Amino acid sequence: MSDDATKRDDKVEPIPEAAFLGVVIGKVSDFFALMIWVAAIILVTEVFLRYVFNAPTIWGHETVVFIIACSFIFGGLLVATRDRHIRVVIIYDILPPKARRMMNIFISFSCFLSTLLFSWAIWIAVKRAIFTPQGDFRVERSGSAFNAPYPGLLRVFLFVVMLLLTLQFLILTINYFRKKD
Amino acid sequence: MELLGDLVVFISDILPDFKSWGIQNATLAMFAAMVFFLLTGMPLAFVSLLVALIFALGWFGPNSVTLISSRIFTFVNSFVFISVPMFVLMASILDRSGIARDLFDGMRLVGGKLRGGVAIQTLFVAVIMAAMSGIMGGEVVLLGLMALPQMLRLGYDRKLAIGVCCAGGALGTMIPPSIVLIVYGLTANVSIGELFTASFVPGLMLASFYVIYVLIRSYLNHDLAPIANYDDVDRAEAFRLLKGLILPLMVVVFVLGSIYGGIASVSEASAVGVLGVTISTIIRREFSFGMMFGAARHTLATVGMIIWIGIGASALVGVFSLMGGIRFIEQIIIGFSDSSTVIVLLMMGILFILGMFLDWVGIALLTMPIFVPIIIKLGLDPVWFGVVFCMNMQVSFLSPPFGPAAFFLKSVAPSDISLGEIFSSLLPFIFMQIIALALLIAFPGITLR
Repeated sequence: MSDDATKRDDKVEPIPEAAFLGVVIGKVSDFFALMIWVAAIILVTEVFLRYVFNAPTIWGHETVVFIIACSFIFGGLLVATRDRHIRVVIIYDILPPKARRMMNIFISFSCFLSTLLFSWAIWIAVKRAIFTPQGDFRVERSGSAFNAPYPGLLRVFLFVVMLLLTLQFLILTINYFRKKD
Repeated sequence: MELLGDLVVFISDILPDFKSWGIQNATLAMFAAMVFFLLTGMPLAFVSLLVALIFALGWFGPNSVTLISSRIFTFVNSFVFISVPMFVLMASILDRSGIARDLFDGMRLVGGKLRGGVAIQTLFVAVIMAAMSGIMGGEVVLLGLMALPQMLRLGYDRKLAIGVCCAGGALGTMIPPSIVLIVYGLTANVSIGELFTASFVPGLMLASFYVIYVLIRSYLNHDLAPIANYDDVDRAEAFRLLKGLILPLMVVVFVLGSIYGGIASVSEASAVGVLGVTISTIIRREFSFGMMFGAARHTLATVGMIIWIGIGASALVGVFSLMGGIRFIEQIIIGFSDSSTVIVLLMMGILFILGMFLDWVGIALLTMPIFVPIIIKLGLDPVWFGVVFCMNMQVSFLSPPFGPAAFFLKSVAPSDISLGEIFSSLLPFIFMQIIALALLIAFPGITLR
């Protein structure tokens, strides 16, 4: 229902219907969990450099924002494989198993449709971020002193995650469809 | 991708031309679509993405979708938002360490020989923990694991004990740092430092209502809360435990102090908080890489949930505002009454109802882009309104049928305590929250602004 600080389920398994993709995403998520620590360490270092030595880096803030933005995006994918996205279950919970199966198919398919269409929306943005209007390859940069290619990379990353989400919801739809209790 | 592009064009062709319906009917249709998909049990994040897409395509055509994606990039790419995972990480580490348990045992000294002492001790612990963490789930669970069994064992009234644990745990988002205030600050574009400063007294006020309630009830009816007799050995032990808490408490003072004092940004302060709590676990000999990693994993899932609702909401609000919907709703609400108090009360009514069914993240991100401009137009203070919103969400945590605090407590309470009993125990506490909310609206000066 809400920010789930409660269940000490650090190792919560993906729902079985998520199939192999859920397992793979679970493994990859370890990397992003680690990146949250990396971001925290950079931030703390940055605070010391700024307030103690008065010499902040030019790359610190931008990099942390990038890392955290990627973790945000990936977190949503992870939660989807575990069916832990926040949803309203007033009606869903009182349904008999058969109707619930239909509902699962409907929900996964609607989610599939929404992420599929969204992949296209992001693709348009990605095209602009990594190609010039003339069609040459050029990754969009932040334009700051450090001028990292983060904005371009973030768009590509969001695009990849959107595709994975689409694939995951497709797999869920198929598996709910095949599972007849 | 070409094929997908064709599909998008096809879909936007078969969709009705919402523009010809006029904004009034389109708004109704949008609302109906949201309610319909939500009731099927589809996750909020993807419901709002889908509805946003349908209306963007139907109202503007395929070219408008780039607007949605650029809003999403702006949303995930903000520096202030970094404080959310940091505060969640800090809370996850605290939940996994023994700091909370020591705090609870040490705070016996507060309750002492008072009637209802353990309940008051619980509330004090809740306030201190609330000042260390910005989310509420973990706190309710910890109180449910530590305080509830002890109160039940001592023969406290069950309802009083249950209420204290839920209401005390929910304080996590009322007393700074609070994720609710951070998300509000981001959507409303106001300083999070100012929000934290303004919410401090209202948060303590609410907590003191709880304390007064416990005292009054236990002195009026001695059966509700027997006096616990601690001997001197216990007392010495409590002192020893409290000494181990000096460092974690200093972390709190330091983190909040640097935000209030304007020394560090909220994001920097939150990272220092993570460092402080980590050092505390090392000194307390509880540190392990497994624990730290588990906390990070938990953080990843929690922020994934919060941020994706935000991604969906920012897409939906973007489309709606481009359609002219926000201006439309604004006119309706402002035209509702000449009195700004009535308008604020109307907003509170809407928030109460939404709070029964929706999660606070969704409510904040979907309604605040509409409400805050109205508040500013009425000449009211958006920082004050943020605190009002936060107080309102306190009610939503406890109110049936979906008050999350009740579910969190249920997950750890003895099995003979039913959800129905939990909700009925929460009624007096909801009443106190509403009084606090009314006071806050009647006397905005409580925020010290």
